[in-house]
Amino acid sequence: MNCQPGKRILSLGALLGGLLLGGYAAAAQEAPVVDSFSASQFGERTPEDLPDDVEQVINGAEFLNLYTGPGRGYVIDHVVEYGEQLWLLKRRTDWVKVMTRTGKTGWAKIADLDAIFAVEGDARGEQVAVPTPGIDGYSDRGLRLGFAYGDFEGANALGLSLGYRFTGNLSAELRAAQTIGAYSDSQTYQVALLHQPFPQWRLSPYFLLGTGINITSPNATIVATEDRQDTTMLTGIGVKTHLSRRFALRAEVANHYLLTSRENNQEIVEWKLGFDVFM
Amino acid sequence: METRIRRIHVKLGCALSIAGFSAFSVAQGDATIDEIISPDLERRDIREAKIDSEDFEFTAYLGGIMNVEDFGSNALYGGSLAYHINEDFFMEAAYGQTTLGESSYERLSGSAPLLTEEERELSMYNLSLAWNFLPGEIFIFDKWALNSNLYLIGGVGNTSFADEEHFTYNVGVGVRILAKDWLALRLDMRDHIFEHEIFGEPITTNNLSTQLGVSIYF
Repeated sequence: MNCQPGKRILSLGALLGGLLLGGYAAAAQEAPVVDSFSASQFGERTPEDLPDDVEQVINGAEFLNLYTGPGRGYVIDHVVEYGEQLWLLKRRTDWVKVMTRTGKTGWAKIADLDAIFAVEGDARGEQVAVPTPGIDGYSDRGLRLGFAYGDFEGANALGLSLGYRFTGNLSAELRAAQTIGAYSDSQTYQVALLHQPFPQWRLSPYFLLGTGINITSPNATIVATEDRQDTTMLTGIGVKTHLSRRFALRAEVANHYLLTSRENNQEIVEWKLGFDVFM
Repeated sequence: METRIRRIHVKLGCALSIAGFSAFSVAQGDATIDEIISPDLERRDIREAKIDSEDFEFTAYLGGIMNVEDFGSNALYGGSLAYHINEDFFMEAAYGQTTLGESSYERLSGSAPLLTEEERELSMYNLSLAWNFLPGEIFIFDKWALNSNLYLIGGVGNTSFADEEHFTYNVGVGVRILAKDWLALRLDMRDHIFEHEIFGEPITTNNLSTQLGVSIYF
């Protein structure tokens, strides 16, 4: 009833005009939106209690969740927006503590920090990666620390090892072990070279060659003999499997050949089960 | 005749021009393909962030007590060094020492003591792996909410006393409350299980210790 022809024409005109205007506006606004309102609101603001020597970056991801603690169970109580600046304070395991422009601190998952960019200096705009411990490629160099439990020909053994990997195949290891048996206790210190021919296998075998010393102290209550120190030659084979990027289980059997000052040299076979952590 | 010659010229011209064009078009095709597939992308530089890591935790026992089966309870001194593998697991090397009291046999029989003073000095160390199986927060009044962990820990070690080494298994549970993200309070309870032969025949003993420690992450 209200549809008079004049009004209809007017509304059609408005519609056309709106379309034209809209198209024009879209053309004029080709530049992408780089900042949300709140991201631009604080501009280049720097928090007051910012520690020295921390790296400033800009968040290039759509958003970044900040947790109250370095763990997936903690509450997300802040979100860093796209284009917002933040400072990387420190890393603990797979988490980074960051500070925002307003001085708010929180923990971000390293996996979420995959689009952060440098702000300062010549490297402005360059992507920044937070270094994570562990192995990324199999050829990475790096330190590893291992604990092991062993059976040293009937005696219990506990071992500690520190390894350094030169290539994907080759690594060197410092090993110390304390064995406690019914008749004697001993301490062994060795340096060994490990070769892993197929590091990419899920169950990867390795060969071991080393040398060291073995200090044996017989239990005084049973036999009254002196401590003796022998040079040992070590050969062994083992197998390793990575449960995660940073954690590997290993099993090993090693032959300790003791070059004793007695008439016969002594051979000891040791079975070992342990784990390595890549640092 | 003339027309025929002209026709030949035209044909020749056509053939030549076609040949030339096709050659050109081939060249152009190569260029286009090159343009499409050439890896002319600028390689993006990724730089590693300059950032400190805090994966190690040093703990000093503020106070501890250890009960050695048959030898009473005594103060325990020591500390530990832990490396945090990820948010769920950490590995730890610990050291502690205590002294043994008199066994009830020694006290009741009135005979000569079983062990000399020196043999009563007990020292132990162990290598353990722990699982932060209940991470969370602890609320103190309405002012503080502190991050915390309840962890299960177990490992192997050596306990040395009475001139003997004793292979020791340890299992335990502990709670860690973080006052700051680099400072924590730890209360830890362990059972140290080893076998000894002081009373003549081998017996397996469960020796409990409790220690309160303060730890610093670095």
